[in-house]
Amino acid sequence: MNQRQQPTVTVERFYLNHAENLQLRLVTGGGGLTRRILEGSVNRCGLALAGFFKYFAFKRVQVIGAAEWQFLKSLPEPERERRVEAVLAAKIPCLVFARNLSASPAMLDQADRAGVPIFKTSMTTMKFINAATIALEMEFAPQVSEHGSMVDILGIGVLIRGESGIGKSESVLALLERGYSLVSDDITRFRLVEGRELVGTSSETTRYHMEIRGLGIINVPAVFGVRSVRPEKRLDLVVTLMESGQMAEVDRVGLERQTYSILGVELPHVVIPVRSGRDLARLIEVAALDQKLKSLGHNAAREFNERLIERMRTG
Amino acid sequence: MSTTSQSGAPRRAVKEFTVPNRLGIHARPAALFVKVANKYHSHITVEKDGEEINGKSIMGLMMLAAGQGSKLKVVAEGDDAVEALQGLEELFVKKFNEE
Repeated sequence: MNQRQQPTVTVERFYLNHAENLQLRLVTGGGGLTRRILEGSVNRCGLALAGFFKYFAFKRVQVIGAAEWQFLKSLPEPERERRVEAVLAAKIPCLVFARNLSASPAMLDQADRAGVPIFKTSMTTMKFINAATIALEMEFAPQVSEHGSMVDILGIGVLIRGESGIGKSESVLALLERGYSLVSDDITRFRLVEGRELVGTSSETTRYHMEIRGLGIINVPAVFGVRSVRPEKRLDLVVTLMESGQMAEVDRVGLERQTYSILGVELPHVVIPVRSGRDLARLIEVAALDQKLKSLGHNAAREFNERLIERMRTG
Repeated sequence: MSTTSQSGAPRRAVKEFTVPNRLGIHARPAALFVKVANKYHSHITVEKDGEEINGKSIMGLMMLAAGQGSKLKVVAEGDDAVEALQGLEELFVKKFNEE
């Protein structure tokens, strides 16, 4: 898998996902919700309203704050309409009025005809710009789908990879039984946050469900309780289950640091050979706990080895 | 190296090695030793100062705390005992790829 997906962010998606935290209300121009936001940022369109189009960041969400609003109000009616018309025609995705400011009926009419959605928010312009920038950054974050299930083990986000039929789902079930929680079964979506952290989640359709051979589709929170699921989790460790015959080398002492790369982030990687009679869930659990120790600054393998070398040196 | 090969009886090979590398048999050499030992069917034991361990156990080898210059008596028993000792000897000759 490992396919990079360039997110398509429509005004509708932005609105649906963030209406609540940005306090957005659609005023008019619902027909234009399919417009795309091409740049994940926000622009105050004052200069464009003043007639300066040489540098106009029209790909961004456009905001009208108190300054723009007062400026529009100061213009005589026909001039105002002309200026608004020019901004609406510049392929902008949408217009947001901050501070609950109201567009004039004429302007609403213009926007509706041009098919440009107009929103209203009760937030102040600055607050809205800050919050909308963060929201857009999230929508525009690079994403990728990985074949594997993700589980949260005591705060350590673990992606469990491996060929189909090797026992991923069974391991996940056993981990859920031990009180850990499921993030995603079989396919996990990762989003790169601030260029350095990966956050895993499941696709909305399959969220909180698992497909188990012989059992079919099960509803995880219904079977294991609400504690057994969580919507998203930072990824800390990748565990690959591998048929022991296929493994070239197994690091027996854990001194070698293996990594697995997702969207350019290097993650600690543990490869566990699968043989009948091994309790995979227990091994994954211990791998996660060992990773937790490492994140606290304790590397058991290295510390053990340093002690051993010291002992041999001093006889 | 001594070998006894009679019809039916398992072959046995013994050799004493001196730990050649500066850091001694720490985790990495121990893992390397076990990796090579596991290629053979023979039962392999390692003895140091009267303490004898299974040559296919990493923890066992590290328990010996065999520093540079210490003597290890390696015994292989089985069909491929001679080959096993040859394979292991190579590790000591190459100083466990450490120096």
